[in-house]
Amino acid sequence: MESEASDTEDFDQDLEPSASMTVPESNDPEPGGLMFYHMDLYETRERLDIFPEEPSSRALGETGEESARIGEEFQRPVEMGYDVEKEVEELAKLYGLDEDKGIEGELLVGSIVKAGIIRTKETPVKMEGVAAGSSGSVHNAPKSHSLIKGAQPEKQSMEEQRLPEKGSQDENQHLQQAGGAREGLNSYVCPREDLKTYGMQNEPTCELNSKEEAADIYCSTCKTPIRAFDKLFGNHKDHEVTELTNAAEIAKEEVHKNMCKLEEQIGQMENVASHLEEIFITVEENFGRQEQNFEMRCNDVMQTLAQRYEEKLQDLGEEKKLKLEALYGQLVSCGKDLDTCKDLMETIQELCMENKKVDFIKAAVALVDRLEKFLKKDLDLELSTLPDFEDRAIDFSDMEQLMDSINTVPDDSIECYQLYYKQVSDDTPSEEQAELMTKVKETYHTVTHLVPNTQYEFWVSALNASGISPASERAVYVTAPSPPIIKSQESQSCENAALICWESGNINPVESYTVELSKVTNGENGDVITESIVGIPNCEALIQLQPRHSYLISVRAVNMGGSSERSEPVSIHTTGTYFYLNEDSAHPLLSVLEDGFTIACSEIENPECDLPSRDNSFTRCIAILGSMIPFQGKHYWEVEVEEDMEYRVGVAYENTHRQGYLGANNSSWCLRHIVTPSRHKYEFLHSGTTPDIRITVPPKRIGILLDYDNWKLSFFNLDIAQHLYTFNSHFQHYVHPCFALERPGFMRIHNGIAAPTSIALS
Amino acid sequence: MSAIPQQLHLRTDYNLTLAALGAETPAPAKIMALKQISSNKCFNGFQKVFEHDSVELKCKMKFGIYLPPKAESGKCAVLYWLSGLTCTEQNFITKAGFHQAAAEHGLIIVAPDTSPRGCNIEGEDESWDFGTGAGFYVDATEEPWKTNYRTYSYIKDELPKLINANFPTDPERMSIFGHSMGGHGALILALKNPGKYKSVSAFAPICNPIQCPWGKKAFGGYLGSDLSKWEAYDATHLVKSYPDSHLDILIDQGKDDQFLSAGQLLPDNFIAACTEQKIPVVFRLQQGYDHSYFFIATFVNDHIRHHAKYLNA
Repeated sequence: MESEASDTEDFDQDLEPSASMTVPESNDPEPGGLMFYHMDLYETRERLDIFPEEPSSRALGETGEESARIGEEFQRPVEMGYDVEKEVEELAKLYGLDEDKGIEGELLVGSIVKAGIIRTKETPVKMEGVAAGSSGSVHNAPKSHSLIKGAQPEKQSMEEQRLPEKGSQDENQHLQQAGGAREGLNSYVCPREDLKTYGMQNEPTCELNSKEEAADIYCSTCKTPIRAFDKLFGNHKDHEVTELTNAAEIAKEEVHKNMCKLEEQIGQMENVASHLEEIFITVEENFGRQEQNFEMRCNDVMQTLAQRYEEKLQDLGEEKKLKLEALYGQLVSCGKDLDTCKDLMETIQELCMENKKVDFIKAAVALVDRLEKFLKKDLDLELSTLPDFEDRAIDFSDMEQLMDSINTVPDDSIECYQLYYKQVSDDTPSEEQAELMTKVKETYHTVTHLVPNTQYEFWVSALNASGISPASERAVYVTAPSPPIIKSQESQSCENAALICWESGNINPVESYTVELSKVTNGENGDVITESIVGIPNCEALIQLQPRHSYLISVRAVNMGGSSERSEPVSIHTTGTYFYLNEDSAHPLLSVLEDGFTIACSEIENPECDLPSRDNSFTRCIAILGSMIPFQGKHYWEVEVEEDMEYRVGVAYENTHRQGYLGANNSSWCLRHIVTPSRHKYEFLHSGTTPDIRITVPPKRIGILLDYDNWKLSFFNLDIAQHLYTFNSHFQHYVHPCFALERPGFMRIHNGIAAPTSIALS
Repeated sequence: MSAIPQQLHLRTDYNLTLAALGAETPAPAKIMALKQISSNKCFNGFQKVFEHDSVELKCKMKFGIYLPPKAESGKCAVLYWLSGLTCTEQNFITKAGFHQAAAEHGLIIVAPDTSPRGCNIEGEDESWDFGTGAGFYVDATEEPWKTNYRTYSYIKDELPKLINANFPTDPERMSIFGHSMGGHGALILALKNPGKYKSVSAFAPICNPIQCPWGKKAFGGYLGSDLSKWEAYDATHLVKSYPDSHLDILIDQGKDDQFLSAGQLLPDNFIAACTEQKIPVVFRLQQGYDHSYFFIATFVNDHIRHHAKYLNA
């Protein structure tokens, strides 16, 4: 028996090659597990009761009994691991093969191989599922058990989350993965099944087969692996044979095809199932709705009828009472009259019996008077009160309406909705705002032509043949803002950043702004947003960029209602430093020409004249400041001057004295050129002092390099790449380019250019 | 006494240098004997002094050479420094404090002596501004100086040849600067040899020697009385015939330099000539500085950067 046990181990080891024989992926990191039952369908069926049992069982190619047994096994997974071995032993005994280990081994291998193939045909193994399942392999029952435990909550939560409209693919995948965990469990169950089922079929072959060797070729005719020996001498002699590996390959392919097909089918069926379930739920819901509706309507009708009955009955009673009262009154008066008549008759009869003439006459006269009176009196003998009652027709028209309404579907009874809306603003009382209304059929509507960045309130009334409903609750929405307007003239940039300013574009304040960048690459337009910066509270943003690229930058305004359209983009080139001239700072005599970068001065006599000047402008020095990006690093720009032009160029703090001369204070640094009769004089002014420097070649193109990193401001004669002077100064604040003219003439400023390499080394 | 071991040491050193360069080993006979006098590590490079037998000056000459760290791995540009009156190769290398800047810019800096020494010429040691320590960077034509006092040719030809043959240099990239008499030497060497030097600069140079007492004495002694010979060594005069403007000249001058006020330096004449000829000069008159090496040390970095800009371009 020990040797049998070792044979069983052999069988286990053989199992791996047999699996690899049928599934190529078995050696991959995600090994295929052909020995696994795919459990999807079991789950599916549990989950979807609306699936008829029969077809699903048939699709599986399993009998109800089998699945029930598997269910059992499923409940005691650990024990099952050992059952395999027992089964093998039992089988061996059963077939009387225990005396011949060789045959037993062969039987096992053969049956396992075949079982593997057949089972896979009926089992759609999806690789994801297998990946989960394969970790609990044939040899590892406890592990697969734990896997199932892990998978179970996942499945549950999935089912809870499941919405009617989501019978989607990915869920199917999840289910398959969860199912894969179960496959792991079943993997050791299967061999037993197969040994039973197919072992039988194989029996004769096995007995006929040789007793020592394993099969090494495949007989196509018998569809079974045989030994080469049999081909030559056995009963497969005239059969068509192929190499076992070839046969395996073919079988593998077929299996794979079938797997895919089944996989597809499962997907479809799960889809259908989920749809059915959806419908199921919807039917239930609709029934509930209708029932409620009818109940409500009928109750209405009944109530109305009862009310009508009460009303009519009361009316009738009252009429009866009135009639009886009238009749009674008449009867009473009638009785009285009758008494009077009788009295009169008696009196007359007595009178007639009187013999005395005198007394008779006297009495007769008095009697005649009474008679006359009585006869003159109208006797109310008409029957004014009729026994008939008024015809009281009950008005059933409203009832009819009610009845009608029962017969119609409630939703359809609404003809349309009236959607009202109006602006809400803090400034004007809401009553003053005009209400606007649109009629819509649907239960949704897009209201257009609203004022941007504005609060609106909305409410709805439903309308049908019988009237209009009360207004709904009011909902308040804010419209998205208008796009901001970038002040493209005021954009500033350098190699590593850009400063963008914009106008809100909205009257009311917006919550924030979003800046969107797109890098413009060669030949492509900048439609692809490469970066967004959100939550900018102010109307400007400093954006870090990469050197020597082109960008398109646009801005959106954002409020509760969402974000605006993109503003018109501004184009930024991060080549060199780009600033603009701040004309507000310009001395009245200094003008900026159309190109924006040529400054001119036409007269000079009286620079301190009383020309109208702006608050921020230079009053003595005919100067202008540039607005340069507040960013560390290097900044370079150039000016072009006539040789005999007198000028100052350099940098200054933004708040440099507007009454002073550039370089005369400690808030500005500049190169000053003075033409004396004998020579060109160059001063490098800061705080009113200059080093004594002689320059033999008057520069016409001056390069100015501001280097915050090294605290330097350098000047160059660009034509001969000559370094003229460098200020070493610890700038307390960011500085701006400044330019001043001290003679009538022009100065041309160039920026947005890279510093020439000749000066980069200086 | 210790000459032999030093020679040996030099050989090894030299061969190593050549090996590092991958250069062909020249025939030993052609090697001009270089004798290392001293070697000191400095800013990861080496400040060394060598002695050699000068063909031009017919005496043993010493020079200081700073090899920046870059010289261990590649060829470097060479910047020649010419010292002033009374100086030897020692003054600049010990006082100017140029090493850090040279190391950073990867420049080899060569500082030769200022005149032939030990030639036993009568009167050579009589005064400090003529003879020994006062070669004035001219090729003397007068007896008894004309045999040895050929410092112009020595600086122009022999020394660069020696340096290029023995050190990892790029012969195409050389510049020159100097102080006082050496400033004069730098200017005339640059102006007389357009294109030879990438750049030139000077500290308090003798700008117009034919007009100043030092120059008159020296030129008279070395060149005789022919003024046309003098003009060939006068920077201010040379500027007037300089062919183009591709020479960026930087000059620093202490404002409190006693020799400036004594009329020995005359920079104004030179600037005027350059202005006229459109030769680019930046002349910086430095407030409060004198003629000393303290002044040089203050601005030597600016000068090295000035040369590096052209040498390393």
